Amino acid sequence: MDILHSIFAAPFIDMYSAPDFLLQVLWEGFVSGTLYALLALGFVLIFKASGVFNFAQGIMVVFAALTLVGLHSLGMPAYVALALTIGVMGLLALGVERFIMRKLVNQPDIILFMATIGLTYFLIGLGEFVFGGEPQKMIASELGLPSGSIDFTVGRGVVILEYADIAAAVVAALLVFSLGFFFSKTRIGRALRAVADDHQAALSVGISLNQIWAIVWFASGIVALATGIMWGAKSDVSFALQIIALKALPVLVLGGFTSIPGAIVGGLIIGFGEKIFEIYWGGLMGGGVESWFAYVIALIFLLFRPQGLFGEKIIDRI
Amino acid sequence: MSNEIMPGDVLLELDDVSLSFGGVKAIRNVGFDIKKGEVRAIIGPNGAGKTSMLNVINGFCHPQEGTITYKGVKRHDMKPYVAATQGIARTFQNVALFRGMSTLDNIMAGRTLKMHKNFFWQLFYYGPARAEEMEHREKVEQVIDFLEIAHLRRTPVGQLPYGLQKRVELARALAMEPELLLLDEPMAGMNLEEKEDMSRFILEVNGEFGTTIALIEHDMGVVMDLSDRVVVLNYGAKLADGTPAEVSSNQDVIDAYLGVAH
Amino acid sequence: MSSVAGSSEDTFPKLLLRNAKKFADRPAMREKDLGIWQTWTWADVLDEVRCLSIGLSGLGIKKGDKVAIVGDNRPRLYWTMCALQALGAIPLPVYQDSVAKEMGFVLKHAGVSAAVVENQEQVDKMLEIGESFKGIKTIIYDDSRGLSKYKVKGLHSFESVQDTGRDALKKSGAEADWLAGIEKGSGSDTAIFLYTSGTTGEPKGVVMTMESMIWVAQAANGFDNLTEKETVVAYLPMAWVGDHVFSYAQSYEAGYCVCCPESPETVVADRREMGTTYLFAPPRVYENIITQTMVSMEDASDLKKKMFHYFLDVAKETGEKILDGESVSLKDQLLYKLGEFMVYGPLKNRYGFSNVRVGYTAGEAIGPEIFKFYRSLGINLKQLYGQTEAGVYITNQPDAEIYADTVGKPLDGIEVKIADSGEVMFRSPGVFKEYYKNAKATKETKTKDGWVHSGDAGLFDDRGHLKIIDRAKDVGKLNDGTMFPPKYIENKLKFFPNIKEVVAFGDKRDFVTCFINIDLVAVGSWAERNNVSYASYQELAANPDVYKMIEENVDAVNLELAGEELVAGAQIKRFLILHKELDPDDGEITRTAKVRRSTINERYDVLIKALFDEEISNQHIKTEMTFEDGRKGIVEGDVEIRSMKLHTPSSHVQGHMREAAE
Repeated sequence: MDILHSIFAAPFIDMYSAPDFLLQVLWEGFVSGTLYALLALGFVLIFKASGVFNFAQGIMVVFAALTLVGLHSLGMPAYVALALTIGVMGLLALGVERFIMRKLVNQPDIILFMATIGLTYFLIGLGEFVFGGEPQKMIASELGLPSGSIDFTVGRGVVILEYADIAAAVVAALLVFSLGFFFSKTRIGRALRAVADDHQAALSVGISLNQIWAIVWFASGIVALATGIMWGAKSDVSFALQIIALKALPVLVLGGFTSIPGAIVGGLIIGFGEKIFEIYWGGLMGGGVESWFAYVIALIFLLFRPQGLFGEKIIDRI
Repeated sequence: MSNEIMPGDVLLELDDVSLSFGGVKAIRNVGFDIKKGEVRAIIGPNGAGKTSMLNVINGFCHPQEGTITYKGVKRHDMKPYVAATQGIARTFQNVALFRGMSTLDNIMAGRTLKMHKNFFWQLFYYGPARAEEMEHREKVEQVIDFLEIAHLRRTPVGQLPYGLQKRVELARALAMEPELLLLDEPMAGMNLEEKEDMSRFILEVNGEFGTTIALIEHDMGVVMDLSDRVVVLNYGAKLADGTPAEVSSNQDVIDAYLGVAH
Repeated sequence: MSSVAGSSEDTFPKLLLRNAKKFADRPAMREKDLGIWQTWTWADVLDEVRCLSIGLSGLGIKKGDKVAIVGDNRPRLYWTMCALQALGAIPLPVYQDSVAKEMGFVLKHAGVSAAVVENQEQVDKMLEIGESFKGIKTIIYDDSRGLSKYKVKGLHSFESVQDTGRDALKKSGAEADWLAGIEKGSGSDTAIFLYTSGTTGEPKGVVMTMESMIWVAQAANGFDNLTEKETVVAYLPMAWVGDHVFSYAQSYEAGYCVCCPESPETVVADRREMGTTYLFAPPRVYENIITQTMVSMEDASDLKKKMFHYFLDVAKETGEKILDGESVSLKDQLLYKLGEFMVYGPLKNRYGFSNVRVGYTAGEAIGPEIFKFYRSLGINLKQLYGQTEAGVYITNQPDAEIYADTVGKPLDGIEVKIADSGEVMFRSPGVFKEYYKNAKATKETKTKDGWVHSGDAGLFDDRGHLKIIDRAKDVGKLNDGTMFPPKYIENKLKFFPNIKEVVAFGDKRDFVTCFINIDLVAVGSWAERNNVSYASYQELAANPDVYKMIEENVDAVNLELAGEELVAGAQIKRFLILHKELDPDDGEITRTAKVRRSTINERYDVLIKALFDEEISNQHIKTEMTFEDGRKGIVEGDVEIRSMKLHTPSSHVQGHMREAAE
C-alpha cells in the first residue's frame, strides 16, 4: 500500500500543498522544453526538405556558440560577432550543399546520414582546433540578454523567473513564428514544401534543389545559433552540449519528423514531463530520471503512434 | 539566344538520340522534331521508350549519344532547371503533385521561375515580394478559371480524385506559361467524361495560347483527334513518323500494335 | 397591399431607375471573378443596363421581340433581362443544360429573334438550332473563350454591344429617348416568358405581365419583411420561375443584393463568403448537405462523432421550440447554447447558413426529418407552395406556424379554394396572363373569373393550413378501390438517404410496385466503408446487400402505410432497383427532377410487366442512354425483383411505426 500511496497519492498531495514549488517546476520544464523544441526544429527543417536526418544538428549548436564566443574574444563587439557568426553559418550551409548534398544526391538515405556523422566529427575537429576544447562562457550580457529575475509570491513561497529564461522563450517563439510565416507565405517557403513533397515535380517547375538545400541548412544553422546562445546562457558552451542535443530525438518521435508544430509541442511535453517526473516521482526510482524519461516516452510512442502526434498520415487514393 | 521561332518552325529537334540504363537500351538512335504550335503525339506499345523520350527532353535523363536542339541551340543534354527556365513544362504519368499542399499552392509553385524578388525581401514577405505574390496570384487565377477548378482552390490535392489531380497538374504546368508542354499520358485512368474535358483543355491550350504540345497517349482515338503529327516508337526505336492518317495506315505500325510475329 | 397599377414604378426598368437613385451606392450585384468578388452598385447596374439596352436596340431589337437568355447565373444575363424590358422586348430564359433539341422547341415556339448566351457551349447550341430555325438573327455571348475563331454573321460579344451602346449614348438625346421609351412602358406589358418544364407533353410558355410579377415580389418581400439589406446567392436555373422572382423581381422591388457564384461547384463556399440572409432551395439541396455531413461524420473520430450526435439530439429536443419562441428550461437553453458553439455554429458556417434569416424549400415535398433537422439547428426554414402560373407564391408558412406536413397559409391578396374534385385553385393579381400561343391550355387552366387550376389535390386542415396530397390527376385507384397516391408513397421512400428516386405503379392494378434509384453518394459511401467494390451504378444497384438495405426501407414504409387508414391497402408488394439512374438527358425526369411517367412507362415496359407478374423474379432489360456529351449508348442487364411481406392494416401499429421508421 505504501508503494501505491507514494505513486498515486503523495506526489499530488505535494503538488497541492506547495503550489509555489509546483509552479517553479513547471516553469523550469517550460524553459527546457523550449530549448528542446528549438533543437528539434533544426532537425525538422532539414529532414523535411531533403529527407536527411542531420546527425550534426547538435554539434552545429556547439559550433555556432563557440564561433560567436571565439569571435568576441578576438575583441569584436558582440553584435559584430553575431553578424559574422550568421555569416559563418551561411558559409557552412553553402559548403554542406556543395560538398555533401550535391555529391550524394540520389544516394540512399543511410549514406546521407553517414555523411552527417562525418560532418559531426569534422565540426568537432575544426571547433577544437580553432577554439580549443575548454568550456567557454556565453557572452549573454554583451548580447543584451537581461540578467536577474522576477520573483513573486505564491501561497507561502516564492517563484523565481530568470530574465534569461524569459528571453529564451520569447526568442524561441519569435523564431518559430517567423519561420512558420516564411514557409507558408513566400515563394521560397512554397518551394521548400514542394521539394519536401516531390523532388521530380519540384524540378519540373524549375525549383532548384541546390538552392533550397542551401537555404534550409542555413535556416537550421540560424536555429542552431539561437539554441546555442540560449543554452550557453544557462550553462557553459562546451562539446558536452551535443549530448543534450540527442534529446531532440525523442522530441521528434513524439512530434513527428516533418512537423514544425510537432517539434514545438513535442519539446514542451518532454520538457514538462521530465521535470515533473523527476521531482515528484524521481525519488521512487533513485533519481536521475531526467536522463532517460524522454527516451521511454519516445519508446511508448513508437509502439502506439509511430507517425508521432503531428506526423503526416498520407492518405493515398488508388 | 537565337532568333525568334515562328509558328511552323522547328522548336525542338532530337538527333540520333540513344539512352540506356545499365545494359538496357531504352532509346536507340531516335530522331524527330517538334514544330512550334503543333500538337505532337508520341505513341507506341508499353516499354517503347515514350516516357524516357520525355525525360530526355526535359532533362531528367541524359542521353549517352545524340544531340538536342532547342530553340536553335544545340546541346548534348538538358538540365531540368534549364529546361524549365527555357519554357519546357511537363506533367507526369503517375501524377507528381505536392501532396501536402492545396491546389492553389501547387499551381503557385508553377510560378516559381517567374518570381524574381530576392531572398532578402522574401524573408520579410514585405514590399516588392508581397506585391509580386499578388501579381502572380492573378495569373494563377486565370489558369484556375481556364481549367474550371475554382471550387478546388483550398483543397489539399491529396484528397482529390485522380482525374482532378491530373487537371491540377496540368494547371501547374500552365502556370509556368510554357512554350513547350510535355504531357505524359494526360488521360490515363480517366473516365469518358474526364477524357472529353481533358481533350478540350489540351486543344484550347494549343489554340488559345499557341502552346506547342508533345503528348504521350494510349487511347488511339484521342491521339487521332488531338494531334497534328505522330511519332511511333517500338522497342526504343522509331517506327514511323507522320500525320495521324499516314501513321495509322502504316503496315509496320499496324503489325507492332497487333503483335504480328516478325 | 398597395396596388401596382397605381404606383409610378410599374415596370422593372422603372424600378431600376428608382433604385439607382434611392440605393445608388448600395450593392445590387456581386460576382466572383478570378477569385475576387466584384461589386456593382445600383447606379453601376443602371449604367451597364443602359449601354447594353441601347446597344441591343442598335442591333435592331425592338418592342415585342422575344430574346432567349441561356446560361448559368451571370450578372450580365440578369442585366440583359432589364435591358430588353426597357426596349419593350421580352426576355425568355431557357434551361441552360437542355440539349439543342429541347431548346430548339422552345425558341421556335416563342419565335425568338435573338439570343444572349453565356459561352461557347451555348453558342454552339444556338448555331445548331439555327440550322433548322432561321429566326435567330443575332447571338450575343458573355464569355469569349474558344470563340475567337468563329466567323458567323450576327455573332457579337457582350462587350462590343455595350460599346456600341456607349458610343450611341454620346449623341445628344439618345439617353432621353431611351428614358422616354421606359416611361411609355406600363404594368400591363409582358415582362417575361417562362416555359414550364412540364411533366407531361411539350413545355408551355407562361406569360407574365410586369404588374403581376411586381405584385408577387411585393407580396413576398412584405411577408418576410425583406429589405435592401438582404443578400442572396443566385444559383438556381435562371429559367425557373423561383430564380426569376427571387434573384430578379424581388431584388428589384426591395433593392437587395444578388450574388452570382464563381461556378456551380463553388456555390456553398460562395454562400458562406457572402453571408446569405435569404435562401431559396429545392429539397434536394438540403438533402445533399445532410448526406454529405453524415458521410463526413462517419470518418470522424469517435469523440467527435459522439459529441455531434449528442448535440444533434439536444437540438432535436429544444431547437425548434427556441426558434418558435416557446419557453424552454434554463438547462436546455444552456445546453443548446453550448451545442451552438460546438456543433451547430460550425455546421451552419460550413454550408453558408450562418446569416440566413429566412430560408425556403419548394418545388418538391421535403422529408419531415430533413426539415426538422435544419429548424432544430436554428435555421428558419419554411415551406411554401407555388407554381410558375402563380409567379411562385401561393401559400407560405408564417413564422412560428411551421408544421412539417403542411405548406402554410395563402399570402395576403391570394385566394385559395378547394374544388369539389379536391383540386386546389387560386386567384390573385399575380397570376399569369396566358400560355403563349396555346389558348386551349389557357382555357383549361384559367377560368373566366381568374381562378387557376393548380392540378394538385389538397385540403385545408383545421388550422387553416393547406396540405398537398398529390398531383390531382396522378391520384389513382387500385382494382379493389383503394386510393393510390403515387407521389405520397414515393416521397415516403425518398426520405431514406439511400434512395434517390422512386416511381410507384398501382393505378388500375391489383397491387402497388415501384422502381427505385439508389443514391450514389450515400450508398457509395456505405460501399467504401464496407469494402464493397463496384465499377458502375449498375453494379452497385444489383448488389445483394444493397437490395437488403433497400428492402428494409420499403418494409418500414409499408409499416407506416399499414397504419394509415386510407392507404393501408396501398403497401408496396414488389420492387426493383433500376439498373440505371433516371436522367433528364433521356427524358425520364425533368430538369427540375420530376418524374416523367409516360416516358418511363414506355422505356421500361418490360420491367413494369415483370413487376406485376409474380412468377418473375429476374428480368433482362436493354435501355438506350445518353452520356453527358450527348453520345448515346446501351445499358443492359438483369434486374432482380423483390417481393415483400405486407403488414396487416391496423391503426394500432402507429406507435410501433414511429420506432421502426427511426
